[in-house]
Amino acid sequence: MLGYILRRLVSVAVTFIVVSLIIFLMMHSIPGGPFDANDMPVSEAVRAKLMAQLGLDQPLYVQYFRYMWGVLHFDFGVPYQSPGETVLQLLSRAWVPSLVLGGLGVLIGAPLGILLGMAAALNRNSWIDYIASALATLGLTVPVFVTSMLLILIFAVWLNWLPASGWPDPERWILPVAAYAAIPLATYARYTRAAMLDTMSRQFVTVLRAKGLSERRIIFQHVLRNSAIPLVTVFLPMFIGTATGSIFVEAMFRVPGLGAYFVSSIEVRDYPLEMALMLMITFMYCIAYLLSDVVYALINPRIRIGGAE
Amino acid sequence: MHFTNKIAGILAIATAMTAPVLAQTTIVAPSGSAQGTYMDYMKTVYDRGTGSDLLQVPLATFDKNFELTPMAAQSWSQSEDGLTWTFKLQPDLVWSDGEPLTAEDYIFALQRAATSGYDFAWYWDFAGGIKGWKEVTEGTADVSTLGLKAVDEHTIEVTTVAPKPYFPSVTSLWYPVPKHVVDKLGDDWALNVDTIVSSGPFDIESWEKSNNSVVLTKSDTYKGPWQAQVDKVELDPTLNAPEVGLPAFLAGDADYTFLNAGQVPVAEARFADGMRRNAVFATSYISYDLESEPFNNVDVRRAFYYAVNRDELTSTVLKDIAIPAGSILPPGYPGYNKDIAAEAVFDPEKAKQFMADAGYPNGEGFPDIEIWIRDEGGYNGAIIPPMAQYLQSQFKEVLGINMSIRSLPNADWMDGLRGAKNNIFIAPYEYDYLDPSNFYGIFYNGGRHNYHVPEYDALVAQADSESDPEKRLDLYAQAEQVMIDQGLIVPLVHPITTAVLSDKLGGDASTPNDLGFTPLDRLAHYFFTHLTKQ
Repeated sequence: MLGYILRRLVSVAVTFIVVSLIIFLMMHSIPGGPFDANDMPVSEAVRAKLMAQLGLDQPLYVQYFRYMWGVLHFDFGVPYQSPGETVLQLLSRAWVPSLVLGGLGVLIGAPLGILLGMAAALNRNSWIDYIASALATLGLTVPVFVTSMLLILIFAVWLNWLPASGWPDPERWILPVAAYAAIPLATYARYTRAAMLDTMSRQFVTVLRAKGLSERRIIFQHVLRNSAIPLVTVFLPMFIGTATGSIFVEAMFRVPGLGAYFVSSIEVRDYPLEMALMLMITFMYCIAYLLSDVVYALINPRIRIGGAE
Repeated sequence: MHFTNKIAGILAIATAMTAPVLAQTTIVAPSGSAQGTYMDYMKTVYDRGTGSDLLQVPLATFDKNFELTPMAAQSWSQSEDGLTWTFKLQPDLVWSDGEPLTAEDYIFALQRAATSGYDFAWYWDFAGGIKGWKEVTEGTADVSTLGLKAVDEHTIEVTTVAPKPYFPSVTSLWYPVPKHVVDKLGDDWALNVDTIVSSGPFDIESWEKSNNSVVLTKSDTYKGPWQAQVDKVELDPTLNAPEVGLPAFLAGDADYTFLNAGQVPVAEARFADGMRRNAVFATSYISYDLESEPFNNVDVRRAFYYAVNRDELTSTVLKDIAIPAGSILPPGYPGYNKDIAAEAVFDPEKAKQFMADAGYPNGEGFPDIEIWIRDEGGYNGAIIPPMAQYLQSQFKEVLGINMSIRSLPNADWMDGLRGAKNNIFIAPYEYDYLDPSNFYGIFYNGGRHNYHVPEYDALVAQADSESDPEKRLDLYAQAEQVMIDQGLIVPLVHPITTAVLSDKLGGDASTPNDLGFTPLDRLAHYFFTHLTKQ
């Protein structure tokens, strides 16, 4: 097991380097630089001065190695769009709202989704199943900004129960968390339903029933555990996707989170921040999949990682 | 009753009675852009922190009727030869840290702007015409050669390369920079709320950098004209998008909001008294490459001039977002001339006649053309693409020609315009300073459009340095008549913005001006100091 984890960590490092190269090259192949977006561009002399100040006058490979050397020392540079702080300070500041809202969205949406999926599977082809499936399909297909608008319209404008948007008072969290929860809820409802139906049709369930085990024990102790594998697979990646913020949800609910930086860093050619965000996401996904694989082995005795023992 | 209880009771009643008086008035407003680096207007304009203009006091600014009003400058005068302006500062202005605000702080602001890569540096050349500005920004002359001088603590002297009769209005974007703080902290003084000092009607309380929203408080050290009438102003760029702003407004989280075209009728039905319109000082127009076929023929250009039905355009596809433009100057802008605007009529017969005169009867033999528009956000994004499609069908119908549309990124579009890589464009322009020379300057001798029309250039040059206001406007009117006669452009529309105000807002800034428009935060200094809230 330990050997397996070590081997996986090496492959994480390789992935990390390959991704960093691709991102760096793509980033610099987009035409234009940080000082070209204004209607009245700065003069050539001034532009050259500014580029030199940021080290952008150096050859690309020098810029790359300089940046990656910094990354090894946890120095991700200073964001062009916020010169008063380092990239790490910016991330630690802007990530808090995204983590709180997106994280709560997943932590609330996922269990509800599991319950919904279970209800659907246990009442297959009944009205409960139809309603649950319809909800799950809607949750996955309706764009999140539409969900957000509807939530604001219903709960803030018509019913006037909740504030429409803003941060940081906790009552302002409710609607964005609900908007975030829609996706994990829908995803989990669908996965749970499918996995449970699959497991319930297995022979060992028939055997358990024949042995006279109570239905409750069969479902909770055996069916659920065996259905958990796909749920584990999607959980961490989904958590990362949601807890790093959505530009739509954050814009609709006026949350000062990380989501907008994913777009603005590309828009204004904020190279240090763009690199940092991409590397961060890459790293987190690598670790998430590694953890998922380890957890598989722990919950499913049929999976043995680390070779054929 | 026990004595202490009595006291407590009296205190409780007193508190209850005074509470409404002590209650803070806070205005929550959409304003600014989502990214801001420095809270220093004289360091960066395009990436400035929201409200950086409200923190400092400009030499002069505009009221809601666009009358220039002295702010930090008590008075100003022009020398006989017209080249030197002298500004006298108010005597008792101070920075929020108690240091006196002096002429040196204004001079320093521009000296630093000329030498440190200020993104708005072109303004002080184009609009200001300050002596030596070009040479200093290009690094060929020393900063001491700039035409700027502090005669004494309260007197600023500015020398320009040519007489600039409108120079005082240019100073509405001249803010001081606290030299004593910059000497200590460098440009970083404007990065943190703790080190930012202000000279204007507001101080800064907090700054959320993730979305560039700020909370400003009424300054207790500012003693100049136009003091704030509310305790706090929250400026929040996340409220700018009408799709976010209107729900927040309806839920009571914002005191006003801008509206998109779809929201206007809804808001009108519910808040008829709160509706406010503003003509943005901007114009969309058609421009050409005057040198190449087929637009080197003045009759072709005249035909296009008469082929646009602006009234239909602005009452259908551009309803509630634009009004017809008959002149390059928008209504309300200094020098706007109704008679000139009235010349731009829709006259299909005349248009057809001009096409026939040019040798293209009913469009026969006219080459297929492609009109270049640029990718835009904001009001232009809502106006230009549908307008281009409307013109496409109208030109087909009236002139019998085929026009396709091509949308390009800003840099490519600018390159195409300057380099004459295409022969017809839709160009939008929003003013940079309040003087007719601004709009006429973009067609002047190789300016934005690479136009070289000697007759026009001569009139504009003469007008630019004419000190008699009436003569000056007359010269500009003559210049615009040349534009019309030679069909240099086709004015199309002026954008308008529509907003809805809460009935809790009051004060002079909440009501329309003489022209029926309410400029709101486009005149930030006037607006936020002349607004009250119940």
